Amino acid sequence: MTGVKDVVRRFAVLLAERFPDTQNILSIYAVIVSLIYSWTLITSFYKIPSWLFFLTIGQIFSIYAYSFFINLIESILMLIGILLLEYTIFYPLKKRNEFQSRSILMVVFMLSSSMIRLLLYKSYESSGAFVSGELTWWILTLLLGIFFATIIPKSERLKNVIEGIAERLIILLYVYIPFSILSLIIIIIRNIN
Amino acid sequence: MSQISRRDFLKIASAIAGGTLVSEKLPSLQLEDKEHPNIIIILCDAFSARHLSLYGYPRLTTPNIDAFAQYSTVFHNHYSGGNYTTTGTASMLTGMIPWKHRAINYGGLVRSEYVHVNPYTLLGSDYHRFAFSQNPWPDRLMGQYYKDIDRFLHPSSYSLMEANPLLRMFENDRALASIAMDDFLLPAQNNSIAGSPVFGYLNKSHVLNIANNQKRVRYPKGFPEIMDPGYLIPYLNEDIYSGVYSELSQLESENSPYFAYFHLYSPHFPYKPRNDYRTLFRDDGYKPVSKPVHPLSAGLHEDFMLGQRDLYDRQIAQIDEEFGKLILRLNESGILENSYLIFTADHGELFERGFVGHGFHLMYEPVLRIPLIIRAPGQTKREDIHALTSNIDILPTLLSIAGKNKVSEIDGSILPGFGGEINEDRPVFSVVAVDNSAFAPLKKAVISMRKRSYKLIAYLGYDNVEQVFELYDLENDPDELINLATKDSNTLSAMKAELFAYLDETNRPFMKKY
Repeated sequence: MTGVKDVVRRFAVLLAERFPDTQNILSIYAVIVSLIYSWTLITSFYKIPSWLFFLTIGQIFSIYAYSFFINLIESILMLIGILLLEYTIFYPLKKRNEFQSRSILMVVFMLSSSMIRLLLYKSYESSGAFVSGELTWWILTLLLGIFFATIIPKSERLKNVIEGIAERLIILLYVYIPFSILSLIIIIIRNIN
Repeated sequence: MSQISRRDFLKIASAIAGGTLVSEKLPSLQLEDKEHPNIIIILCDAFSARHLSLYGYPRLTTPNIDAFAQYSTVFHNHYSGGNYTTTGTASMLTGMIPWKHRAINYGGLVRSEYVHVNPYTLLGSDYHRFAFSQNPWPDRLMGQYYKDIDRFLHPSSYSLMEANPLLRMFENDRALASIAMDDFLLPAQNNSIAGSPVFGYLNKSHVLNIANNQKRVRYPKGFPEIMDPGYLIPYLNEDIYSGVYSELSQLESENSPYFAYFHLYSPHFPYKPRNDYRTLFRDDGYKPVSKPVHPLSAGLHEDFMLGQRDLYDRQIAQIDEEFGKLILRLNESGILENSYLIFTADHGELFERGFVGHGFHLMYEPVLRIPLIIRAPGQTKREDIHALTSNIDILPTLLSIAGKNKVSEIDGSILPGFGGEINEDRPVFSVVAVDNSAFAPLKKAVISMRKRSYKLIAYLGYDNVEQVFELYDLENDPDELINLATKDSNTLSAMKAELFAYLDETNRPFMKKY
């Protein structure tokens, strides 16, 4: 029993030691939020003319509430995914000062890839074609992402540029997160029996 | 194929007749609560009355429905309020003309001030109220009444695909959540870009892969799919109609009478009849009257339209088989004898004038005339109603059957044969106004007005139409080939004046805002 406790304690210490700085996490989250929310907002602009045809302004705001709520969940899951990468694939790199820039690059690669797939998506004729097609795409994305996320931060100048942009994006969190919380409240109210 | 149909025809005819005789002898099968009888609506999406052999279609498409009609009231001139699902269904559910309920845009909603006018709210808690629409647009309309629906199935129920769990989280706000999720954040179809970059991608991949996999494994030549914007739900009509019976059996176990509305997707496009129907009507020599290409149509080639018509007729024949089986089971279980059964459609389908489908700007008979067959409990003989009726008459008739009072907002009247009177001078309107805002005066729309034997079609706000008005005498010209607009100026003027008087009145509240 003591042995198990000891292992858990050591594992917790290890995690804590490797856990990135909160400010770094915040700036990565800001990048995730900026990309996800911006995509939703931009795609919504194409929908607004038809919505205005048959929905009231209040109903359109409710649709945005659902959108921001979904975006909030997506962004949190994405952040968890990036932190998991830090403990798995990027674990051997051990360079904590590069965590921020390499994670940002991974976020950009993964989300851009998803957006490109959404723009170009075509259904597959069989499950085999689906798995091979999508799997190939995502393996390539992941490999390229890891490659660039490892290489680019080596350049101090590029690293500073990436981190500088990310830190400036934190300001968007002050807009999007309160809106998301407000959205959550709206959704709860609308769905209460 | 025709042999099977004939056999089913005989089965149903004898079963209903037999069932009726049995019900006369056995008190247990008599209607239990005559003040509040069960009411069942089975609505088939995009089912044109012009394609039913019951209404004189040269092909024997619907022997089982024909048999059912032998013990029912058959309405021969029944019209939908619109030429596509949202407007047609909203007209039926609200009992209002589209320019009033304003569900006139694709996937639109009923005006909030009229949301309380619907069968679920008006029948009240005396009834156990059930709703199932395979088509997501009526599901969205009924989502506005979710508080008054006791059991509300998801569109993917009894299909080959599970509903998205994210959608299930927002059941109480189904109408708006459906617009947000299906139309915007998580659309399944290829041509709709998802507003959600992560879940949207995952949902699209999952749905399309499952759909294609099902197709490959179970139906190599494809099966019907619900393909409304945002959705892609493969289904089999066999499963759907079994589901209808299963739900009705469950409803029978309720202590209270029930109202059940089934909005079934077939024979809506894509027309994919089961494999054993694939050769039906092939080379049967039937060729419909060729009609001139309309300037607002897609200009499709005649051969293509004929091919699509064949597929549609085959799909109808399969629906008819499933309907026949359902009626047999309902009769055997005694459900039929305790219920009003209403068989109808939300709108028709068009295969002429260079266009295939519905929901566009064309308002000819095949897309507006829909079947209406009502069987009352214990009805032993057929009744035929030839008066003009509209699907806005369904709600007041339901309320009358259920012993409820009609509310003032309803435009429709109780159907003849069910307590209503025939009014020869009553105009019947159908509207398509997808290009007009639901909040603005009706200025861009195509309106059909039926009165006596005449039909006026008005193209309002469309510059590319040479003739703004078309006038037909359907008694002498049922195929709408001779436009009388320039020949019969008296009738045209009278009908125009009446139409514009209605329009002026209905536009008045909107003029204040604009």
